Amino acid sequence: MTQFLGEFLLAIEGGALPDRNLIGGKAWSIARMRGLGLSVPPAVVITARACTAFLDTGELPPSLAAELDAGIAWLEAASGARFGAGPQPLLVSVRSGAAISMPGMMDTVLNLGINDDTEAALAALSGDAAFASDTHRRFLDLYARIVLKATLPELAEDATPERWRQTIREETGEAVPTDPRAQLLNAVQAVFESWNSRRARKYREHHGIPDTLGTAVTVQAMVFGNLDAQSGTGVLFSRNPLTGEPAPYGEYLARAQGEDVVSGRFTPQPLSALADQLPAVHAELLAAAETLERENGDVQDIEFTIQQGKLFLLQSRSAKRAPPAAVRFAVDMVKEGRIDEATAVSRVTAEQVRVVLSPCVSDADAAAATVLASGEAACQGVGVGEVVVNTDDAERRALAGEQVVLARLITSPDDVHGMLACQAMATERGGTTSHAAVVSRALGKPCVVGCGVDTVTALAGQIVTVDGTRGKIYAGALPVIAPDENADPLLATLIRWAEARSPITVLATPPAGPLLDLNTVSGGEDEDQLPALLPGHTVVKGGAIASERGVRAALAAGVTTLCASPRLPVLLAALEAQRQLQTNTANDK
Amino acid sequence: MNEMHLALHGVAIKKHAPAAAVAAVVGLSAERTEALLKDAAASGRLMEAQGGYALTPAGRMILDNQYSRFCDALREDAAFIKAYERFERVNLELKQIVTDWQTLEVGGQKVRNDHSNADYDAEVLDRLGDLHERFAPVLAQLVKGLPRLARYGRALEHALEQAEAGKIEWVSEVRIESYHTVWFELHEDLLRVLGRVREE
Repeated sequence: MTQFLGEFLLAIEGGALPDRNLIGGKAWSIARMRGLGLSVPPAVVITARACTAFLDTGELPPSLAAELDAGIAWLEAASGARFGAGPQPLLVSVRSGAAISMPGMMDTVLNLGINDDTEAALAALSGDAAFASDTHRRFLDLYARIVLKATLPELAEDATPERWRQTIREETGEAVPTDPRAQLLNAVQAVFESWNSRRARKYREHHGIPDTLGTAVTVQAMVFGNLDAQSGTGVLFSRNPLTGEPAPYGEYLARAQGEDVVSGRFTPQPLSALADQLPAVHAELLAAAETLERENGDVQDIEFTIQQGKLFLLQSRSAKRAPPAAVRFAVDMVKEGRIDEATAVSRVTAEQVRVVLSPCVSDADAAAATVLASGEAACQGVGVGEVVVNTDDAERRALAGEQVVLARLITSPDDVHGMLACQAMATERGGTTSHAAVVSRALGKPCVVGCGVDTVTALAGQIVTVDGTRGKIYAGALPVIAPDENADPLLATLIRWAEARSPITVLATPPAGPLLDLNTVSGGEDEDQLPALLPGHTVVKGGAIASERGVRAALAAGVTTLCASPRLPVLLAALEAQRQLQTNTANDK
Repeated sequence: MNEMHLALHGVAIKKHAPAAAVAAVVGLSAERTEALLKDAAASGRLMEAQGGYALTPAGRMILDNQYSRFCDALREDAAFIKAYERFERVNLELKQIVTDWQTLEVGGQKVRNDHSNADYDAEVLDRLGDLHERFAPVLAQLVKGLPRLARYGRALEHALEQAEAGKIEWVSEVRIESYHTVWFELHEDLLRVLGRVREE
């Protein structure tokens, strides 16, 4: 059972679920996972009542420090580690958690409790002094950014804690406490203060959430995946999030922390490595994934750490998915009885289907083609044209009806007019966050970046195919293929389910009889003008009618039949528009 | 900067824009800007097409050469330079946030964010709002050195509020004064004033 350790503090265990308003969404989901018999790191939660008291008086409740001591003692007992001391030091994460998640709340502080002494203990325990030092550095960095709200220069990895602390003092005029209890109290107070941040207040006002609700604070033991050969960290998807294949998919890195996977400094192994090294833990993990997917009715993305042979689940949430996977998850999960058809069609967006149906170069053509340059795939899609290196020329020739590919060393706002006009673009310098990458994605133009100096600009005058999905520039104009929604059994199934529920009939070919063709009407391609153009018509084609806003306008205007191909994106947009109307009506009542 | 240089500077930042948009960037009146731009067009420093202005190669050369004359004091201003260096640090974060807004990492691969995952979008938007607040003191420092930059603060705030109100195109859409558009103009403005060169 979850038990109160004081007026404001609870220890999270299995059993009956505590009130979500009191402990916040994050602690509640930890409690729920404990309730399902799953292994999560020990956690205590300071209730929203303490926040309310703080907001009333401007001070932490007098009993809170003592209650936190009791909470820490409970965490120490549950984890077998000691806060701020060796031989096995207890470090904690501190996170905000209101019943309803909202913007503007404090980010999570990790590794709290570290100082010179615990760093030494952690170094001895893990046999890895660099890891202990890095843990210390990352704590100071997060504390300075989040609790002290500093815009900090990078803390150099090879400097000492004393130097890092000095940098923070210089930037903020404040010191990071070395006493773990003081670190904890300050972080808790910062969470409470974030309740009244500009964005949080505005969000509550907008959504009618009472200001008096307050936020809880979850304090959870950190677990370490790098202590010995029986430790590691990884990510598991209950199904493959790229292809949608119904088999667990994941990555595992032995003797590592989560940041090692994210940093890209180490290449994780497939999940089968875990099955070889720790078969019992692997089986427990797969069983947990199955439980979580069934309970949540959606594919799960689970972060886990194994500390000295024991599995801990850190987080589980609905998995992000590539468009083909969204399609396959939806169809498969209905066949398995996990969701119903209406849920399935609500889980796939019109945009995802458009991506699945978007033109591409076939694997065979790509394999046979000559690669002129390669870089990072910045924006998916395929564009064919003649390489032009001058932005003004590119714009002029594109406006004259030529197909051009813009190639630049780098791009800047000076190049945006050329980027708007071209079929595709490529740059020589810069990565996936460069100007060219950001702007191409905003425009939906195929783009490859960072191909290397004197590569793509040297192709001026040549006809090339830019494959923004594979990150390649091919010689010549390769055939571009467009997939067919009716030939794909998964898409055909979704069409059937969507059609049975759609408020509007969608036809690939126009029926006989009167119809409004927006291609022949001035302003018909402008979504903003559709609400004025559509009323009085029942059958409509062309113009902007197949876009999300076009479909919404059609529904609002009482149009009964739309003619568009492919049909599935339009059907899904119609279902989405219907859901929005229903939500709005419900809110108005 | 004298008014003519300021007006040309505005055209360099706001490409192919009408006089009113240029005026908003540099903080001159629309009428005054219009007159200056017409003047510059008559002397071959600008070309006018479809109601928008762009620098001619000669105009660009004149503009670039005059920065050192008008901006020397600012280029020596230690507090301004320090604030600019902070801007560059925040800029790295901003670029990452915009990239995360546009792409999803799925099983180790980057795919386009189709904005079907409301939780993910809210998370990224929250990071942008957080960056915006942490950037406020940095911008205030920049404004101390160059008061007309205050305009960017208002434009950024407007874009953020639109995005937070659910109009998600205000994060990175190219054709409107989205957060990324305004941020990029500010970056371009600073680079020109300080005589520095963009890296990527």
